[in-house]
Amino acid sequence: MITTRRELIKAGAGSLIVASALGPSITFGMMPMHHKSRMLPPSKKPRVVIVGGGWAGVTTAKHLKKKLRDRVEVVLIEKRKIFMSCPVSNVWLGGLVEMDFLMHDFQTPASKYGYTFVNATVTEINRHKRRVYTNQGYVDYDYIVLAPGIRYNYEAWFGKDREMARICATSFPSAFIPGAEHVALKRKIENFEEGTFVLVVPPPPHRCPPAPYERAAMIARVFKKNGVRGKLIILDPKKEIKPKGKGFKSAYEQLYKGLIEYVPNARIKEVDPIKKVIKTTAGDFRFDDGNLNPPHQAGDLVWLTGLVNPKTGWCDVDPLTLQSKKDPRVFVAGDSASVKGFPKSGDMAHNHSQNMLVNALVAIISGKDPYSAVRAPTNTCYSMVNGDPKEAIVINVLYDIDRKKKAPKKKKVNVENKRSKSLATATFEWARALYRDMFS
Amino acid sequence: MRRRDFLKGCAYLPACSLLLPSFIFAYNGRPLKRYTRALLVWEDGRPVKPREIKPDEEYIFFYPFRATPCILVNTQQRLGEVRLHLEDGTEYIWNGGIGPGKSIVAFVAICTHQLSYPTRQRTLISYHPPGKRSSLIGRDKVIQCCAHMSAFDPTKGGKVLEGPAKDPLPAVILAEDKGKVYAEAVLGKDLFEEFFDVYRKDLRKEYGSSRKAKERVDRCVVIPLRKYAREVIKC
Repeated sequence: MITTRRELIKAGAGSLIVASALGPSITFGMMPMHHKSRMLPPSKKPRVVIVGGGWAGVTTAKHLKKKLRDRVEVVLIEKRKIFMSCPVSNVWLGGLVEMDFLMHDFQTPASKYGYTFVNATVTEINRHKRRVYTNQGYVDYDYIVLAPGIRYNYEAWFGKDREMARICATSFPSAFIPGAEHVALKRKIENFEEGTFVLVVPPPPHRCPPAPYERAAMIARVFKKNGVRGKLIILDPKKEIKPKGKGFKSAYEQLYKGLIEYVPNARIKEVDPIKKVIKTTAGDFRFDDGNLNPPHQAGDLVWLTGLVNPKTGWCDVDPLTLQSKKDPRVFVAGDSASVKGFPKSGDMAHNHSQNMLVNALVAIISGKDPYSAVRAPTNTCYSMVNGDPKEAIVINVLYDIDRKKKAPKKKKVNVENKRSKSLATATFEWARALYRDMFS
Repeated sequence: MRRRDFLKGCAYLPACSLLLPSFIFAYNGRPLKRYTRALLVWEDGRPVKPREIKPDEEYIFFYPFRATPCILVNTQQRLGEVRLHLEDGTEYIWNGGIGPGKSIVAFVAICTHQLSYPTRQRTLISYHPPGKRSSLIGRDKVIQCCAHMSAFDPTKGGKVLEGPAKDPLPAVILAEDKGKVYAEAVLGKDLFEEFFDVYRKDLRKEYGSSRKAKERVDRCVVIPLRKYAREVIKC
């Protein structure tokens, strides 16, 4: 809370520095509303503060504490009151699973594994002081793990016109960040009766590469069930569907013929959410309703630290340890991190957090070599393509560690493009198992 | 192996060489746990004879507790000693198969990655016998978990072949005695505590209470997996 004039000036100066480093798109802290009081007592052990309780953050908190036990203090800060899973949310949009499947609590694992859960919003990160400010006070860290997921880059579509971005986000929510947007999108899908529904695929790299195509299948499933007179147009900036292209294509052709129109090479030139027109390199498209997904970038919190590469919009990290290249006290987990060959997915976030980041951090805290501690991750990604009956396809990528180059490399790619009921069953167990690991 | 290690291993299984047809070594003593000796029987109550265990079938039985599933297979391969290690560096030696061809093995069917296990509704863990390759990973002679594609080698003591699992499947130590088959111990890192914890609700539904699910068994009914689980998921 800012109580004195001096504090006000100080806060203003601080936010000016942040704002100038981040550019005009940042909405954080023209006047930070953080408390200037200490939230937790000083720690005698190394303290790791994890900011962001998504797949990467929750995984990191548990496994770090499980490995180091009393030799570390782990604090997880998350602004949401409840965890909602983005993986499997398309299946929920398609009406194939109840919402409680996606919802989990932060308290159970924190209490079971002995890490501190703080339900607060981070307002500032001071890397010099190694201090995180929140709306409930500040906490000092020895190491910080930033795991804020993604943010939408509406600027790429609307430049400085924030009003247009707001209209677009409100009228045609993206729902790549879990929450109310998903609920709004589901209502849209269920209420749609006729005309053109457009789905814009964000340019790579974006969160969960196959998600837009799975979402298209799930939307088409609802349209088919509801006898919608119209079609779903997928506008893809890529030249083809990737990954699992064959599987998605055959599902579209065999299950949703006439309902889905796939348009490749459709890079966005202009979006008008009021006139409902999208101009692309593959032509102009009028639409009645839609799911408009702007490009993705590293989550806001990483921008607050000034560690984002402005050229890419993502955070450059050591590809084995996920340690920031600019600040050895900072690690970046999950979608915000940029690692060549790693997709931005829940499974990947879980895998690289557990096998790479946690092992590296444990080694560093224990005074050992982090590189030899790192283990190769895997990534498994199911996509539901049918609901009647439930059928899915899958890709499974195995990685190896190139110890000389100090980087991961792909070892084997297993793909099953033939949709099956078995893989649909496996989809649910895939998710249940990871929820078990993170939340039970 | 040094003599001291040999003795250390045996110390965790008193008089193991007398009780088991072949003894087990456990470096550091950690990965071997002995439970109640349990006779393997068919559904009609007849004791299982090693020769009756078909090579193309995969079987399930529950050991050492009422609710902890194990998979039994006849690999058709003479299996000897294999040295394995856990993620934490602990090493141990698995002794191979039993039966006339030393080809029969059993493992705890709880995936060491994220605890997936066979239920009456479905199993994502199953065995791919010789010639019947997994469509996704292209391997046969593996026990595979289709949740996240971990593959284990039943001919090498449950060693991880690929996928996210770090630890081998724990082996069930089988012994032959006068033509009958017994389960006697579990070798490797078992996840029973975690299993009973995370599946508390499911196990209560299946067995009535956690206490009942945790009862130790002295008799294991062996059932073909396809008869136990309505859906055997292979991938």
